[in-house]
Amino acid sequence: MLDYVISKYNFWIYVILMMIGLYAMIGKRNLIKKLIGMNIFQSAVILFYVSISVKAGATVPILSGHSYGHGELIEVAKYLNPLPHVLMLTAIVVSIATTGVALATLILIYRRYNTLEEDEILKIRRDTGV
Amino acid sequence: MKLVALITVFMTGALLIYGVEDMPGWGDPNSPASSHVSPRYIQEAMEKTATPNMVSAVLADYRSYDTLGETAVIFTAGIACILMLRKKRKGEGE
Amino acid sequence: MVEQFAALIIVAPLIASLIVPLIGWRQKRLCYPWVVAVLVVPFICSLGVLNTVLTTGKFSYRLGGWAPPWGIEYAIDHLNAFVLVIVTFISLIIAVYSKKSVEKELAEEKIAPFYTLFLLLVTGLLGIVITGDVFNLFVFLEISSLSCYALIAIGEEGAPTAAFNYVILGTIAACFYLLGVGYLYIATGSLNMADLANILPSMYHSKVILVAFAFFTVSLAIKGGLFPLHTWLPDAYYTAPSVVSALIASLMTKVSAYVMIRVMFTVFQPHFSVDIVPVLPILGWMAVFAILFGGIKALAQTDLKRMLVYIVVAEVGYIIIGVSVANRMGLTGAILHIMNDAVMVACLFLIVGAIFYKTGTRDINKLHYLNKKMPFTMAAFTITALSMVGIPPACGFFSKWYLILGTIEAGQWVYAAALLCSSLINAVLFFRVIECAYLKPLNPVNAHTGETHMIQRDEAPLTMLAPIVIMAALVILLGMFSGNIISSIIQFAVPASF
Repeated sequence: MLDYVISKYNFWIYVILMMIGLYAMIGKRNLIKKLIGMNIFQSAVILFYVSISVKAGATVPILSGHSYGHGELIEVAKYLNPLPHVLMLTAIVVSIATTGVALATLILIYRRYNTLEEDEILKIRRDTGV
Repeated sequence: MKLVALITVFMTGALLIYGVEDMPGWGDPNSPASSHVSPRYIQEAMEKTATPNMVSAVLADYRSYDTLGETAVIFTAGIACILMLRKKRKGEGE
Repeated sequence: MVEQFAALIIVAPLIASLIVPLIGWRQKRLCYPWVVAVLVVPFICSLGVLNTVLTTGKFSYRLGGWAPPWGIEYAIDHLNAFVLVIVTFISLIIAVYSKKSVEKELAEEKIAPFYTLFLLLVTGLLGIVITGDVFNLFVFLEISSLSCYALIAIGEEGAPTAAFNYVILGTIAACFYLLGVGYLYIATGSLNMADLANILPSMYHSKVILVAFAFFTVSLAIKGGLFPLHTWLPDAYYTAPSVVSALIASLMTKVSAYVMIRVMFTVFQPHFSVDIVPVLPILGWMAVFAILFGGIKALAQTDLKRMLVYIVVAEVGYIIIGVSVANRMGLTGAILHIMNDAVMVACLFLIVGAIFYKTGTRDINKLHYLNKKMPFTMAAFTITALSMVGIPPACGFFSKWYLILGTIEAGQWVYAAALLCSSLINAVLFFRVIECAYLKPLNPVNAHTGETHMIQRDEAPLTMLAPIVIMAALVILLGMFSGNIISSIIQFAVPASF
């Protein structure tokens, strides 16, 4: 059992991170905390992808100087899988962009209601009858 | 509300853990992810794209269309912030 | 040459969106004609692509010339090409309509960024539909979502909070989708849809694949606004500016439904989605509740736009029912309904936008004499309403007919009952509006003098009226030609194994 947990510990850690993030997104009442939860969730996904690319004993996927252009076959097992890294570069950018847009909506909300607590916003909206 | 959130979170977590069981171990060089598509990038990137950094080669050549989308995402976010936050300054006429 | 059309569908609106801020910086008035002119290009290109697919069968377009599992490809088949034509056409019509409505509802300095995001939203939707790569789909999903969040947030009172809720749920959906892609990747090592479809059958009993499928389903159910996960939808669609509501209500949920069909029946084989995972009955029941819940909530509304928003919730259920019965009739109905519903919902939202533009109200009880004030708009409304109820020859009848045939073939009588029940609810809903607008004394009597005075005709401006009339005409035309559409396009779009 312990061996099983340890051999896949990367997945356990990302699942725990993801659960923290998801809980903050749907359970917290403060909008900023929701946003922080969103970032934790996205980071968890990124860690998951990056851990896919690992190969034991391999190095970063950059050819070192001596293996340049000698026509010798490059050993696949010596380099990490580059594809998840590429995907995650895109996903990181997407997550930053989402955070930016979410912060902008939070500014709009704050300008209008002067608070970022969901309960207080609901109360204000109920009081003004909208 | 909190309880519903907790139940949802634990169900999601349990589902993810359930899937973990059939996954290859951490760092397994023979996992499908490391043996189906990606070896070609490692072996051919230098020859086909003249870039020693395989991540750059994939990012900017093999999957450059994703990168185009990525820059479009940044542009979208920028314009989105302008659209939401821009206010006309006092005294600024047309 | 025609192959390049496929790339142009995405590239034209994307490049054009970069130019809109520059145009807006010099001359704000020119943004509108530019956007309309640009959106003609993808429409023509998608017609060309559809024509190619119809004559020579499906084809793929390699981006950057890299062979598929290594590079990204557009994989275009009948289903794809069909949805592309719908998306490009409806976005073009709504762009034509947008001029007056945007000028009225938005501050002047917001017009240029508004049109930029409008184009980006269309780009994102088209990118989702056309791509043959699961990760690329995520990127375009995010382009469309981000522009959607911002466009909703600039709406009326309460819009920022609705937009923020949408950001949170939309991001959960996007991350779930990404997790699904990751699980597929870890099990297969591939991101290409066609390649995945080849590899997956040998590992259908792997738990990784089951979890991936579950995450795809939940993610697309959130994005599509399927019943228990629809909570973000009513507020977001209600508070958005009229033009934006029309665009996202008619296209966003339909594109999500398209992706659901694509994932369930192309990436995974129908055999897997139907026999191995118990997901279709669950989806079917969610759809039944969506139809009933949407209908009942719509009955409780006095605001025309809020009523339509709940109708959208119900309409999503229609398509999902067609998917969940998983037979040829049901899927034909679902795909036909993607088109019909996009046209009908767009038409209804455009009409509500026009009424709001002219009268400043959306309250159903204040619509008196509207048939005198806005005869063409109300005529279009009546036609579309009859179609929503499902009266031939309007197009709504035909998709509902196929959906009901599909449910009967599958022996799902509850689904059939829900569909019929929804027709009744729609009849009540729309008759209530039509009654308020038409069936009042012809000339209002002035209480003090006892004189009657004529209601002046006060029709919406041409840029609004023309799109409405075109859409209403389409509602009838698509109904009359639905036999041809099914026999020439949709029967090939339904996965061959059914």
